[in-house]
Formats: sequence, structure tokens, C-alpha cells
Amino acid sequence: MLRFALKHMATKRGKLALTAMSIVLSASVALLALNVSAQVRGGIVRTAGYYDMIVGPPGSATQLAMNTMFFTDAPLGTISYEVVERLEADPRVQEVVPFAMGDSFNGARIIGTAPKLLDGKELREGGMFEETFEAVVGSAVASRYGLNIGDEIVTSHGLAEHGAEHAANPLKVVGILKTTHTAYDNAVFTGVETTWAVHGHEEEGEEHGRAEGEVCAVLVRTKGFNDYFQLMADYGADASLLAINPATVLREVLENVDLSARIVYILSAIILVMNIFVVAVVAMLGLYDARREIALMRLIGVRMRTIARLYLLENALVGLLAAVLSLIGSRLCIRVLSGFASSMGIVLNAGTIYPAEWLILAGVLALGVLPTAALSRRMARRDGLE
Amino acid sequence: MIATKGLSVRFRGEALIAYRDLTFERESCALLGASGCGKTTLLNAIAGILTPSSGEVLIDGRNMAAASQREKDDFRIRSIGFIYQDFKLLEDMTVEDNLRVLELERVDVSQMDAVLEELGILPLKRRRVRKLSGGEKQRVAIARALVKRPDVILADEPTGNLNYEIGARIVETLISVSLGRTLIAVTHDDRLAKLFDRVLDMNEIARSEVDSDA
Repeated sequence: MLRFALKHMATKRGKLALTAMSIVLSASVALLALNVSAQVRGGIVRTAGYYDMIVGPPGSATQLAMNTMFFTDAPLGTISYEVVERLEADPRVQEVVPFAMGDSFNGARIIGTAPKLLDGKELREGGMFEETFEAVVGSAVASRYGLNIGDEIVTSHGLAEHGAEHAANPLKVVGILKTTHTAYDNAVFTGVETTWAVHGHEEEGEEHGRAEGEVCAVLVRTKGFNDYFQLMADYGADASLLAINPATVLREVLENVDLSARIVYILSAIILVMNIFVVAVVAMLGLYDARREIALMRLIGVRMRTIARLYLLENALVGLLAAVLSLIGSRLCIRVLSGFASSMGIVLNAGTIYPAEWLILAGVLALGVLPTAALSRRMARRDGLE
Repeated sequence: MIATKGLSVRFRGEALIAYRDLTFERESCALLGASGCGKTTLLNAIAGILTPSSGEVLIDGRNMAAASQREKDDFRIRSIGFIYQDFKLLEDMTVEDNLRVLELERVDVSQMDAVLEELGILPLKRRRVRKLSGGEKQRVAIARALVKRPDVILADEPTGNLNYEIGARIVETLISVSLGRTLIAVTHDDRLAKLFDRVLDMNEIARSEVDSDA
């Protein structure tokens, strides 16, 4: 029956292709919305998890979190490097990483920091920055501009692509990071002292924290819960500083993301339901159109039950094809989207399939079969010879 | 052997056609008569497509008129080769597929190539039916009826709109491949009817009555 069904389907391939495409498009949107929102959520939570406190100048907590975690947005301003030293000396603190941002290389952010920020990141070539004017570049920056170890890069003032150049103080590439599919791929890392030295004293006091002895933020990992609460209370009480828990702030961001995701879910569900009707109508019309064929098969003796099974099998095959194509389509979209998401520091893995996605795929399969199954039941109860 | 006893069939829900009792042996028999005299209706009643209003259709002594729909379907697909006037072919499928459709009910079509060869249409096996001429379609319809090697072959105007020469060739082929079986064919061409073992004048056998209860 399968062989005959495939040949029979080939005679109406145009109509079946349109039906399958309609299902594939709506199911792909639903799968994409579900998968990406789950992966973005997971990615943000993982990124925010390591440091439990970020100290910066007063301003937007979200901006501070996004700036230090994903290198997006502009820094809030600067704080004195003394804050870094004070935290380093604090027995409640396990790890302190200074964070300065203000210059760029062809639009890629220059992050003035300590090598500790790159703990857990592997180098593709070279070593870690140690001396002033040494830099480690992200893999995307290296490949985009053909950078190799020993090359010099001239940074620009500010975060725009065409700021004034610091031609007198180029940075020397000493290391290239392996691809991480995170924001690190699109950034250049150097010592915090370098960011001061690039500008010297002539630009002291500028808004982007490049003055000597100033940083944009401090990333802190405390030793324990009590230490964390005490430190948050201490630094929260200082009106000249802003202390945030990045996970808490990003959870708020996530709530907004979730709201957007919910809207996408609802839209996907509406599209999917609309498609159920479209597919049901197409299946019904297909069967009514097929009345001549059905009558013909009945006349030569093919039983109504067999004919119903034939049509059911054909629709199941369409559903199966649509489910497979939806899965492939959504994975291709995820691969494309992972390029955008990586600038947020989030890795989208096209191979990740969530249980809810299997449910959607099962729904797609059912979509192909159920309308015909209902009609087939009706068909099978008639002799079809009248 | 096929026999009818006291058979009457309602035609299109209006007229009731009553038939004299008939018997068909392993022979070729032409049903000759004017249009609307009940020739096709008789074939449909024998094939179990139309249910008689009264009487019996006996196939080897078994009354198929009283059989279940499933038994009638089974009988039609395995024991009867029905050649319809308008062919009843799946136009968008190939010649081969039109024979393989029988496999849906597990009918053996392993003789397909031999039958197509015998009918001179083996080279058309993979051709779509829609692209065939009327005569070629007629042969495909005959091939589908013969491929299962049925005991009974029913042919409703098998030469249809074909001219006499082509029609005669088709009838001769049909008779030769039906040897040893029961072949009942409807025609209203006297010349073609003479090619059969027996000719029944349906104007004398069937009587049409307008049924006031219909």
C-alpha cells in the first residue's frame, strides 16, 4: 500500500506540497519561538551565575548588568580604582575583576580588565596579556580583520566605529581566543592599566572611565551567602556607588523576555490553530475531489475501508514530512539566529530539542492525520457505490 | 456458472427492470439491445454493484444478491473482471499503477507483463493513462480486468466509440483471452455481436416497468 500511496501522492504533488509547506511554516515558527526563548533564558542565567555582585557608578541596574555581562550598551560612568583595591582587600571577597570600557577597534569593544575575566576561555593562539599595550582578541575580531599574533591594532576613542584614533599607542595582539559563540568573540581584552595608558593624562576626567585610576565597574565573587548580603548592604548604602546582583537584574530582564516569548507563543499557537482549519479544509476538499477516484476503486472491488486507509496513510506521510521539515527548518533558523544571539553572549545550540518541541511535532503529525481519520471513518461506514 | 432467477432491478430509482431467468456457462455471450433496455443494469446486478429488488443472482449456486457488502466486494475484485464503457481508469497514474491498484486488496498481478504483451500495450506500461488514445485506454481497462485471471468477465460496450475495424479487433482479442471463462459483453452492434458464442436479445429478455411505488 505504501508504494501505491507514494505513486498516488505524486499525481497530486503540487497540492500536497502547498499543504505541507503551510504546516511547515507555522510549525517552524512555533518550534523556533519555543526553542530560542528557552535557550536565551538558559544562556542568560548561565552567564549571570558566576559573579554575584557588580559594583559600578549610580544609574540603571540593567545597563550595568548588560554592559558588564554582555558588553552591550554604554557604561554608566566611572568609579575610582580604589573601590577595586578596597574589595580586593576585603576578606569576604573571593575574586575581584576590574572592568573598563570606552574605546573600540573597528566597533569591537576594548575591555580593560584582568586576565581572570578570561578564566574558562581557551586561547586559540598565543598567550594572555601581561604587559601594558598587550591584548587578547576575540575570534570573530581576529578573523574579521585577519589579525595574527604580533599584529598591532589602533584603537579608536569611544564606542563608535569612527572615533578619533589613538595611533600613538597601538595594542599588540598577544593572544587570540577560541570561538565561544558569546560576546567575547567580538571584543578585545587588555589590562585595565592599558586603557589608562592609551589615553595618558591628557583626557583625564572624560566621561568613559579612561582616566587613570578609574574603572567602569567591578565584578565580584563573594565567599558565601553572609558575605554577599553584608557586602551588598555595605556598598548599597554608598550613594556614590551602585551594587547589583546580576542574576536578580537579569531575571527582571528575563521576565520581559518571557513576556515577549509568551506573545510569540500565543501568536504561534494562533497560526497553528489557523493551520489546523486550513489543513482540515484542504483534506476534506481533497477527499471530496477524490470522489471520482473513490467511486472508481469501489467499482473494481477495492473495499471502502482499504480506500480510507490509503488516504489516511497519504495524509500521515504528509504530516510526517511536514514534521521533519519543520524540525530541519527551525534548526536552520536557530543556526542563523545564533549569530545574533552570540553578540549577547548566548550560545544557541541547533541540536537542542526540548520536550515541548516533540509535542509540537506530534501535533503536526496529528494535524496531517486527524481530519482525514475523521473523514475516513465516515467513508468506511458507506459502501460508496450509490 | 452464472444464473439469474426472478431477477428485477430498480433502474435509477424509477423504472423496475424485470428479467427472464438466464444462465451463462463458460462461453462468450453478447447482450444486444437498444439503449435503456437494461443491459448495463444486468451486468451491474451480476457484479454486485446494484442490489436487486427481487430475485437471485447465483454464482456457482451461491446467491450473491443476498451476500454481505464485503462478500460482494471480495467477489468483484477476485472473481470478476469488469470492463467499463468509460474505462474507469486512474487517469493521472500509469498503466502499471492502474493494474497495481488491485494489489491494495492483495490481488495477484504477477501476470501483468504477459497480459499487457498479449494486448499489445506492454511498451505503454509506464505511460500515464491521460496521455493514451481511446483504443489504448480500452486495452488498459481490459488488461486490468484480465490480469487477475477472473472466472467471469463483464464488458460494458467494450468497443465504445471505436470504429468497427478496431472494435472487432478488440472483441476478437477479448474473446480469445477469455477462452474457458464466462464472458458477458454488452453491445448494440449486430456485426460485433456475431463474433460471440451466443447472442441474447435483451429487448426480449428484459421488461421495463414504471413502478408507482418508486
